[in-house]
Amino acid sequence: MKEAEPDEWGSLMAAAQAGNGGAYRRLLAEIRGWLTRYYASRLPPAHVDDAVQEALIAIHEKRHSYDPARPFRPWLAAIARYKWVDRLRAMSRQKTEELPDDTAIGDHESAVTSAALLGQLMTTLKPAQAEAIRLVKLEGYSVEEASARTGQSGSLIKVNIHRGLARLAALIQRQSDGE
Amino acid sequence: MASEQLLDDLVASLAPVRPRNPRREGMVLALVGMVELGLYLMLGHHRPDLMMAMHMPSFWWKAGCLGGLTIIGMVTALRSFDPTASPRPGLRWMALLLGAALVSGWAIDIANAGGGMLRARLMWRHGIDCMIAIVILSIPVAVALGLMMRRGAPTDRKGSALAIGLAGAGWGAFVFIFQCPHDDPFYVAVWYGAGAAAVALIWWLILPRVTRW
Repeated sequence: MKEAEPDEWGSLMAAAQAGNGGAYRRLLAEIRGWLTRYYASRLPPAHVDDAVQEALIAIHEKRHSYDPARPFRPWLAAIARYKWVDRLRAMSRQKTEELPDDTAIGDHESAVTSAALLGQLMTTLKPAQAEAIRLVKLEGYSVEEASARTGQSGSLIKVNIHRGLARLAALIQRQSDGE
Repeated sequence: MASEQLLDDLVASLAPVRPRNPRREGMVLALVGMVELGLYLMLGHHRPDLMMAMHMPSFWWKAGCLGGLTIIGMVTALRSFDPTASPRPGLRWMALLLGAALVSGWAIDIANAGGGMLRARLMWRHGIDCMIAIVILSIPVAVALGLMMRRGAPTDRKGSALAIGLAGAGWGAFVFIFQCPHDDPFYVAVWYGAGAAAVALIWWLILPRVTRW
């Protein structure tokens, strides 16, 4: 099935607001693809699926906040961005668990490095914060390993991750206000 | 990819919804505010010299500043319940208004040959009563706005909560000026300011937690 034009998504949502399940099913399927691309360029791969699901649920719960007289894309983007910031904040609160050595994982370096936007955002952080986030949150090192690689103490690594992610969330929020 | 099951569940739970209408919400707020003011005055909460006070610049200074704060706060809050709108520009306007209110109040104070013992002018026992009254009177409008915020989709919850707190404080203080016998700009700036700050702080702390989505 051909994907609807973004402007058409507004009509589909208006129909969904009136209770049209067929239009809603088509809309959700199409914006799922859009959301997947959106988060794939902004989050570590392991978080993309969850972020898409959360955004779809948020769109469902807040569908009455869409005004059919206005374009759909900015509304969708605002919700996607809100959930992105939310996830970054959640990541900053998340405890980092050390992976057992016998867990086999594939090399996902290329997927990680394809998160171009995230990488670009991280250049705005202090080098120590960016390094801590890159090692622990993106590349899966334990806090101790990251500490050994960077020379920062374990607690400093945690502090830098927390502050760095909080700073990223604040930066995105500010960009959103400026737009 | 999010599972087909999730999409099926969302479609299965689809029910018709009425799109949010900020104008309708504004009218509800106006109604809540008017009912509150009407009841307050009907219950006899008005200063005995109200007619005389209305000839004084300081009365209109209070009314103008608080009315302005309420209107900007309500508009800012209602706009911010749309995910595409930010409350920050409105909050900056409110900060400007508060600054202008302080400067104009100071000018009125000078014109009234104000000065003297600032501590005596504070009348802190009355001041605390005023502050408590403002906090209580802010509740109806702030609660109404809080419910609207819960239904809306604010993407800057702290900013929206602050706008709600300031709008509620502005309205609570506006209602209270019909009872409060104090026209001294210094007294008003201190105690009304403290009341507004308390209201804003309370809602800024509560609302982001209960409106998470």
